[in-house]
Amino acid sequence: MAVVLEFEGLTKEYRSFSRRRRVRALDGFTVQVEAGEIFGFLGPNGAGKSTAIHLAMGFMCPSSGRGRILGAPFGHAPTRRRVGFLAENVALYHRRMGSLVRFYGALNGMSGPRLAKSVHQALATVGLLDQVGRNVSKFSRGMLQRVGIAQALVNDPELLILDEPTSALDPLARVAIRKLLLNLREAGKTIFLSSHLLSEVELICDRVAVLHRGKLVRLGRTDDLLQSGEQTEIVARGISGKTLEGAVFNNGLATLVVPSRKHRAALERLWDLGGEIVSVNPVRRTLEEIFLEVTADRESFGPKDKA
Amino acid sequence: MRAVLLIAVNFVREQRWPIFVLLLWVLLLAFLGLVTDIRHSRDDLLFLFKQVVAYVLVFSIFFGGSAIYNERRSRRILAVLAKAVGRSQYLAGLILGVTFASVIYCFSLGLTGSWTLGQAGFPVGRVWVFMVALIAACTLAGTIALTFSTFLNPFFAAGATAAVLALPALAAHAIAAGWAYLIPVYPIAVILMESSFEKAGVVPWFLVLWAVLETAMFWGLAARIFSRVDVVVAVD
Repeated sequence: MAVVLEFEGLTKEYRSFSRRRRVRALDGFTVQVEAGEIFGFLGPNGAGKSTAIHLAMGFMCPSSGRGRILGAPFGHAPTRRRVGFLAENVALYHRRMGSLVRFYGALNGMSGPRLAKSVHQALATVGLLDQVGRNVSKFSRGMLQRVGIAQALVNDPELLILDEPTSALDPLARVAIRKLLLNLREAGKTIFLSSHLLSEVELICDRVAVLHRGKLVRLGRTDDLLQSGEQTEIVARGISGKTLEGAVFNNGLATLVVPSRKHRAALERLWDLGGEIVSVNPVRRTLEEIFLEVTADRESFGPKDKA
Repeated sequence: MRAVLLIAVNFVREQRWPIFVLLLWVLLLAFLGLVTDIRHSRDDLLFLFKQVVAYVLVFSIFFGGSAIYNERRSRRILAVLAKAVGRSQYLAGLILGVTFASVIYCFSLGLTGSWTLGQAGFPVGRVWVFMVALIAACTLAGTIALTFSTFLNPFFAAGATAAVLALPALAAHAIAAGWAYLIPVYPIAVILMESSFEKAGVVPWFLVLWAVLETAMFWGLAARIFSRVDVVVAVD
């Protein structure tokens, strides 16, 4: 699988004007995002997620390390023609929506009927075609977010970098954006998604990275991360409540959670008791549990200051 | 080039209210031409004309000095620089935007000035030449302010620009007259301010060309500095 976004030992330090106060927002961050995947990027506030995204977009210069986006070094302007970007708390010029999205498309070198068609398509995708003549200054935050997504899609990008795309959206719009992202993946696009909505990331992301205090603390396939590997859930029927300690009974089914290394013994015991095994599954954790686990050691909000 | 033009037009659009307020001064000049006994108020008219010329120069510095700051503060710069727009192209767009704003203003001033000063009996054949020189001076002043604003907030950028524009004047007085041409905003302003229109004033064309050349040089310098600037970090 081709690598479309690559962070290689990236470190970013913010310094005060006098250079006496330093904050390390990103510390030796290394991640590779492969073509065609939805990559979830998680972390508490101040973990360095936006810093990493801004470095990838060339808005900042790294203190050390390097990165490549679609094969070009970060900050290479012509490459951004193939990238769609949505910033957190999107800020747009106050003008009519159609003209605004056209403006952003034109900045990417598009023109004529191709641009008109792309604008139409992008606005249709986010469900705002009927608002095309309205000034965006009159839009709600959720609608502005959708315009932001439209401007990110207008150039039909190969790689989409989205910083909190669903933060201001209602549940219906969130579902629509989720479907949109899945459709885009089907169409072969790569999506780098930073989000606080863990349930959403869990639903759509192929791989997940968790950042904490500027450092990568967890990286892996979402399915692998969610399977604890430590516990197994066994569901059986035909067992009476008195004969099996520790099981939960519901609708005639007994559910038993045992350490994975002991699940064979548990199965044999159930068979001995005359039970019929319905299912045996590794216990799935939620992304929220993983998130809390890897960020549990934080003593304060945000990255640590280094004097 | 198209991206530069788009950014320039967008800049003018975003600055439409300050430009409109500036145009009110030009309207005041036209109003005076309509309601006063123009032949007896010639000196007042000439003074107002020159005052408006000074305003456009000062406003160009404000336009240039605050352009990046406003875009960064509002975070609108992110959506623009996320497109296939290089930092140098972005700055070129802002400089062209400052130039467009000056052109709008100078064109209005040229029209109104030609009419009112002509009515007052001044020979106005040189008004449009002066306006071209004024546009060149405004563009250079705005570009110098923009250069400083790549790393300073608008207040300090305007102060630094004023200092840079004043230095050649001080050097011309203290050392030799030739120093005035180091940055040609001052000599162009002097020619405009000292012109009485009684006799045809002369704007040396080399000053205009020199201003254009220096604009390009300051643009290059600004692009070099801005390429190392983190645009998402506050400038305050």
